[in-house]
Parts: sequence; structure tokens; C-alpha cells
Amino acid sequence: MASTQHVLLSPAELAYLHAALSLTPPIRPDGRAPAQFRPLVAETGILPGTNGSARICFADGTEAIVGVKAEVERTRLVDGATAGTEWKEGGSARGEGEDDDGGDKAGDSDWVELTVEIPGYRDDDAGTAFLAAMLSEALLADGAFAKRLWINRRFHWKLYLDVLLISPPLSYPLPLLSLTTHLALLATRLPRLKSEGDEDPFFDDDWAAARHLFPRSSSSTTKESARPPVTLLVMAVGNNIIFDPAKEELAVADVALAVSVAEDTTAAATTAATMDLDDAAAPAARSLRLLSIRTIDPPSRLTPPGVPNAANSAYGATTAQKQPEARTAEAEAVEGVWRAPRGGAKPLVMAALVQKVLEKGGVADEILDALDAVDLG
Amino acid sequence: MSDRRRINGPVGATIPPVSEDGASREVAGSRGGRSRPPNAIRKMYLKTGVTPSASGSAYLEIETSGRSGVSGLKLSCTVHGPRSLPRSSPFSPHIILSTHVKYAPFATRQRRGYLRDPSERDLGTHLEAALRGAIIADRWPKSGVDIIVSIIEGDQDRETSKTQGDESWDLMNALSGCITVASAALADAGIDCVDTVAGGVAALVSDKGDASPSIVIDPIPSEHDRILAACCIAYLPTRDEVTNLWFKGDLPASDTELYTKLVEKGIQASAKANRVLVECLGETVG
Repeated sequence: MASTQHVLLSPAELAYLHAALSLTPPIRPDGRAPAQFRPLVAETGILPGTNGSARICFADGTEAIVGVKAEVERTRLVDGATAGTEWKEGGSARGEGEDDDGGDKAGDSDWVELTVEIPGYRDDDAGTAFLAAMLSEALLADGAFAKRLWINRRFHWKLYLDVLLISPPLSYPLPLLSLTTHLALLATRLPRLKSEGDEDPFFDDDWAAARHLFPRSSSSTTKESARPPVTLLVMAVGNNIIFDPAKEELAVADVALAVSVAEDTTAAATTAATMDLDDAAAPAARSLRLLSIRTIDPPSRLTPPGVPNAANSAYGATTAQKQPEARTAEAEAVEGVWRAPRGGAKPLVMAALVQKVLEKGGVADEILDALDAVDLG
Repeated sequence: MSDRRRINGPVGATIPPVSEDGASREVAGSRGGRSRPPNAIRKMYLKTGVTPSASGSAYLEIETSGRSGVSGLKLSCTVHGPRSLPRSSPFSPHIILSTHVKYAPFATRQRRGYLRDPSERDLGTHLEAALRGAIIADRWPKSGVDIIVSIIEGDQDRETSKTQGDESWDLMNALSGCITVASAALADAGIDCVDTVAGGVAALVSDKGDASPSIVIDPIPSEHDRILAACCIAYLPTRDEVTNLWFKGDLPASDTELYTKLVEKGIQASAKANRVLVECLGETVG
């Protein structure tokens, strides 16, 4: 859905938009700078029945809610494992890097279930499945996330992330859903474990003692100062790179990419060691990790082409009537007449898009800083 | 009241014992290793026109890795159309693509159901993005085309009893095969494209022996200890354009050179697959 939804713009409007966005600097319909996000309102902890929740409302009226629920689940043992071998689900992808700490603390991507619900679309719609796959792929890419859900060798947390878009999809909802998921995960708390070792888990019933899934700014656990990833939507028109495109802007995109990035935990550990308990100064030395990239099929390929005056019979062109094959023959590109883009994107353009997302002090940094400021309650 | 008439099994789930003999343990321990040079793809067999009833079809088989118990990828693709859209559907100035990717229930180690699961839908979306860039869509207004890829055999190691997290990486290999076979089937159906698009995969792998990770093309996950990152690329060689890029993994952002190299290698793999594709299409014409 969504990325290819029908755009109700005429060829003349599309040509105008494309020309405006190709200028240096580009002129966006809503007056934003090329790397500026839409203003947003965010809050967390809105759903008391969940382990963590968040709501984000963009200025254009799109709004999303994410609820995170956790359940204790028994880890299934397969392969007739003897003492000291792994406990895992059969046939599922493992998070890599399981040998890093202590060896036996392994996560499994089956422990996270992410569903996306978009009004007006079936939940088995290919586009919805694509969005859900993109969000969970970024979450599980580094393998460290599933490890957080490990309780002991016999039990683990199963995390259900339910992503709900509660407004109609006025623009491609990927950045909105990703930011909301990020906040909800930051706000997620799991009850404190009281039992020890491999016994049946027993939890502290005091919710105030519950620990965050992503603990914040504690100097003792520097290793765990990681944060969930964010996925940014970025597109190219002509020579310009534009972040967080609205629906009309995406309709004239030459190429659109969804890039997922996360904070580098190893680098964060070194900065936290030098300045303990100072979360305001930490982002200065933030370094990012690239987790996933996907090409979004831009809806511009489905837009109707314009007819140049030379081929328009209303302007005295007679060729179209006399030779029907002339109509189908490829017309030369005429300045100011919209044509849907054909073919793909140059590898260099794609590389430039990714480079722009990852650069130091760029948009990704700005977004992570802005999300830092949200009160997690 | 329990059932006393039948002899029932135990109530709880049990796990059948799996005996591991020395030989298989040894194989699993060494995990084969890559037998090809790092910039060579596996041999592939491509044939068009295998399904007479479809307007275009193709079959792709990729060589096994030479070890017993490892199956190669086998794909079949049919293209139905272009045909006119039903009267009830709204006007479309372009051809409407619908892509379906389905694993056969017996294609993978774990049985798949008959209904498409989310990962298959996801592959279908990737395939659609890759093909839509290649097709000249405005030559068929008001029409639609169905592209159906069935994965008859997945690219999986059946010998190793343990799960090694290969499946998420297998999807990339499957997608690159899907793109190549669908492109051949589109050409067979006579649908105009700007160029033949082919898929290629490159991965950043680390092996036990090597100190630093290396980049290989067309990776087989069971041949490597760990895959750090992989990317699948759909590439149009004569236009030098990428129609689909799917990258997954974990790379430090400070080292963009690694990422650029990975994409370059992916393009290289795709260009190699494209040579096979062009040769196959040339045979059909000649």
C-alpha cells in the first residue's frame, strides 16, 4: 500500500512540483528546508495496560500509537541438546554475535512479533507486510535486541509490538511508525526479576521497581546504553536530497530509500566513561551504525504523463490522428511536460543518499537528539 | 474424564532423541568453507518458455555447492498478460504489475503452508520494485500483468541439524534468483523493458581462519561462520542503474567505504547473472 497509493495530481502539477524541488535550494510545498522534518507532538506512557506505549502526531494530521506487551514464554529446547548447549526455537533465525557475553545469553528473532495496522488496508496487504518487515528487520539487525529479552536458560520474554496508524495514511507512514516504535521501546519497562538462575521466573510486583528495556544514562551499565533504531525516509529529486517527504513530494521522487540507523553502543560506552551521568553532553560524540536499507517503489512511476503541445491535437497537431504508431513512439522529453521516471537510479545517487543520512551532525543525529528530549514518564 | 479406550501419548511435549555420529559432527564443525573464489557466482541454468499455457515463463536452477545434502535454488516463473483490466477497475495510464512469490510447502527445511506468509509477501514487494523500474509501463495503458514465481527448492543445507540463523540471509539469495528468473520470463512474454534486470547478492562474511571480514559475492550462508551484512541488488547493466537495493546487517557508519564496496560487489554479481540471462535469451531467438 501507501507508497504506491493513488496520487490525485495532474501532469501539470507534477511537472511544477518536480521543477520546484529540483531548484537549488529546493522549494518544498510546505516551506520546509530539505533536511527538515515535519513538526511533531510526542508522548509516552499513554496506555496503562501495556509495558510501554507512545503516540506521535505529525503536523499534517497523521497519528500513530504503538503498544508494547511482554509475555513470559518457555524457551523450547531442540536438537537433543546436552548440558551447555544452546536453547532455542527450531528453524528460526538467530541474532548473531551470541558468543559475545558469557556465551549462553542468546536471543532469537522469534521473540519479537511486530504487527502494523493501517486503516483502509487489509492486514495481509503486501505493503503492510513490507512496512512490518522493514521495522522488525531494523530492530533485529544487530542481534543485541533479542538478547535483552533473555530471562534465563529456560524462559524468555516474548515481546509483541502493535503499531497502529489511527489516522488515514495521508503520507507514506514509515518515518512516523518508526519514530513511534522507537519511543514506545524506550518507554518499555519489564518487571524486576527476583528469582535466580534457571528456576521458574518470579517477579517483583512493584511496578516502580520495574527496569527499562533500554536503560538510560546509567554509568554502571555503559554497555547497555543502546537505543532502538530509527528508520528515515529520504528521496532524491534531480540533484537534491530531501528528507521526510510528504505525499506530494514522494509523487515526483526519482528514487526513495528507507535507511535504518542506530547508535553505536561501543562508541557510546567510551564517551559515557569520560562523562558519567551527563546525558546532555553524550550526543556530541555519537556515532551511528547502518542497519538496513530498502528501496521504496516511488509512486511517481504510476503517475499519468503529460502531453506536449506538439502532440496535442487541440494545438493543431495532426500527427496523432494520421499515424497511430506515432502516438506510441517515444516522444522526446519536453521541458515542463511531466513524464513518469523510467529505469532505476544511478548507484552514485543512492550512495549519496545513504551518505547524507549517515553524516556526522546530520538528520539522524538531530532526530535522535529530539527524541532524547521526550519525557519517558 | 480421561480417554481410557485409546492408548494416548504422554501429555507434555517430548523431544525425540537425535543421535549425532562423529562424521556429521565433524562436517558441521568445519562447515565446509567456500570452494569458489570470492568473486565468482555459482553456475546457473536458465531456460525460457517452459510453461506453454503462460504467455511467458522461465526456469532457473542454481548449482549446489558441491556438498551432499545441500540443495541449490530452483525457481519457476510464469507471466500472464498483458491483459485488459476488468471493466470495474479505474483507468490506469500504465500497466499494473502484480507479483507473487511463493515457497513450495516442501522447499525449505521447515514446511511452509499454502498461504503466503509475511516474508513471502515482502519478497513480492521487493520483486515488484525491481521489475517496475525495468518495464516500460506506459506502453500498455489499461492493462495488467501477473508475475508468479514459485520457489520449488530453497537454497538450504539439510545436513546440519542445527539452525544457524541462515534463513534471513537465504531470503536475499532467493530474491536475487526471483529477479533474474522474472526478468527472463518477462522477455519471453514479449513485454517491453528498458533493459534486462538481474539480481545479485554480496555479503560481508567473517570466517574463523581470517582475521578481518571479507566481501564475497553469491554467498551460501552455511559455508561461512558469520555473515555480518549482505545486500541484494537489481541492476540494469546498459543504463548503469539500480532498480532495487536491499541491504541488511550491521555496519559502522564511519566506514562508508565498506558499504560502497559491498554495493559494488553486488552490482558485479548482478552483471554476471545478467550475462547468463542475455545468453539464454539469445539462444531462444537464434
